[in-house]
Amino acid sequence: MKSMKKVVGPEYNLGEKIKTNVYAVGVAMQESVYPHTATVFYPRERKKMPDNFRGFILFDPDKCISCFNCSFVCPANAIRMKEAPNKRYYPTVDYGRCIFCHFCIDSCSGGALKATKIHDVAYKDMDEMFTPTEEMIELPEIIREDKKYVEYEIEEDDLHLKRTKGEDYLFVDVPPPIQIPMVSQCIDRASCIGCRVCEEMCESGAISSSAENGMLRMKIDTDKCTGCGLCVKECSMQILKLERK
Amino acid sequence: MEVINTLMETVMSNQVSIPLIEPMLDLLPEIPMLQYMVAFMLWKPLFAILICPGLTVGGITLLFFPWIERKLCGRAQWRVGPHEIVWWLGGVIQILADTLRFLFQEVIVHKDAHRPYFLQFPFLSFMIFLLPLLFIPAGTIVAIQTPYAIQIILALVCLFPLFILGLGWASNSRFAYIGTVREAFVYFAYEIPFIIAAIAMIILYGTSDPLLMASRQSIPGIILNPIAALVFFIGAAMATSRMPFEIAESDQELCAGPHVEYSGIAFGLIYVLCYEKAYILSALMTILFLGGGSGPAIAGLGDLSGVFWFVVKTYLVLTTLFMLRTVYPRYRLDQGLKLGWSPMLCLALIGLAISLVVVAVRVI
Repeated sequence: MKSMKKVVGPEYNLGEKIKTNVYAVGVAMQESVYPHTATVFYPRERKKMPDNFRGFILFDPDKCISCFNCSFVCPANAIRMKEAPNKRYYPTVDYGRCIFCHFCIDSCSGGALKATKIHDVAYKDMDEMFTPTEEMIELPEIIREDKKYVEYEIEEDDLHLKRTKGEDYLFVDVPPPIQIPMVSQCIDRASCIGCRVCEEMCESGAISSSAENGMLRMKIDTDKCTGCGLCVKECSMQILKLERK
Repeated sequence: MEVINTLMETVMSNQVSIPLIEPMLDLLPEIPMLQYMVAFMLWKPLFAILICPGLTVGGITLLFFPWIERKLCGRAQWRVGPHEIVWWLGGVIQILADTLRFLFQEVIVHKDAHRPYFLQFPFLSFMIFLLPLLFIPAGTIVAIQTPYAIQIILALVCLFPLFILGLGWASNSRFAYIGTVREAFVYFAYEIPFIIAAIAMIILYGTSDPLLMASRQSIPGIILNPIAALVFFIGAAMATSRMPFEIAESDQELCAGPHVEYSGIAFGLIYVLCYEKAYILSALMTILFLGGGSGPAIAGLGDLSGVFWFVVKTYLVLTTLFMLRTVYPRYRLDQGLKLGWSPMLCLALIGLAISLVVVAVRVI
């Protein structure tokens, strides 16, 4: 039987031991006189978050094309689409479930969802964490007590805090994503069974149907089509396809 | 009247002389009663009990050293320590706030505890822990002067773990039990080298009267016998069961060891016990190795200059003792016992030998 190799710690002689002990005590003394304190005194000062910080999600209804992509992609099922008074479907976020992965923002084709650096919204209970669309449009009310913001700087394995007077901005104005205009098109007209699901699904009224000679004829208005892709997802024969305009 | 006169004579013959406040004292005879009260206050034994090293300085130590320790450790570990209570002063009154909280908290006595002892021991041990202060001189001021002071202090210091064992026994819980057994183990490991180191210094000075000891330390004891000083210091660190030797109270495994069941003001008392112990042991270290209250006399302070140097040296030792926890990780029980029984015992014996050699050289 092969003998097992025993893991042993490094061996130090007496001189090295004294040296390391003196070094450790010296560092402790130095730190207690000139400390590199890494604490941020939160309400009075704020840590400066990077611009691509994943925080509270803002929503702009004018840019929303109701494509449902955010709610489809959400891994935590936090986003539900709710019907607004203008008969459009807009997202609502349940922050009790949200894991702040921001897949919804990445997948938003119209650039309607936006990330902010707000990470300290307080709720009284779980029900209140469900945020309807109206509350996502404007920034939540924040009482700013911070007079400075803090940045971490790493120099030669040592971490330093850099404090700057002034308030850190919480809303980042990210340029809108490059939009590729898409349009829905039928690739196999002969297979259409005329179920009219696409017509019911379409939010913008681009798909219309008309009876001709006892046959149902579907028509897609390319000017009205926003390219949301809802009809493509719902088509029972899977003959619709998104194509570039 | 004669009784009062003889009493006043004894009191007046042994006064703390402070040149700085003498003009004020000269005005006092005009006010009735007050001169007697001030005379009593400045009577050396009463001054030792009430002011230094007794009530006032001890109280200040207990009130501020937990804060200083937490603050220093925090700074060394890149934290801030206590901060939010009076944050513009760095949370100085944190311990006062904690004490208030402890005072108003209910003392819970659980079902299995031995009720009378469970409630008695924190208060009893607090009293016992104060007793060595009677024999510790600050400069020339001492409550009870005896040629056997060091032996009495050592005997009283050796009593401390007995009360910790009592706390653990009265708690009657498994964590307290394990902590108590560990305390007993560690007690035997550090006590013998600790006492041998103290004896080495008694042999070196040829006396165990602290006042004489201070006068014989033209060269401080820490230079004459550094090995005994090292052993005494490590022994003191183990005796206070602070961080590197926090074997009995290890937070990770035993919550708080012998005092896991305590709450309210009983816990508050136990919490300051180890600071009290550390204060007494660093005072003893000051007497044995750092020359007690000897130091350059400060003009105008008179006897208080000795008190000043004593307090400064004691606080220096105390701070060093507390700084250990920022540097060293906690010892396991077996490592602690090994350290106590082999290297420390050997070093203590070497220290004893050094003392004997120094005494022999001095005789020749």
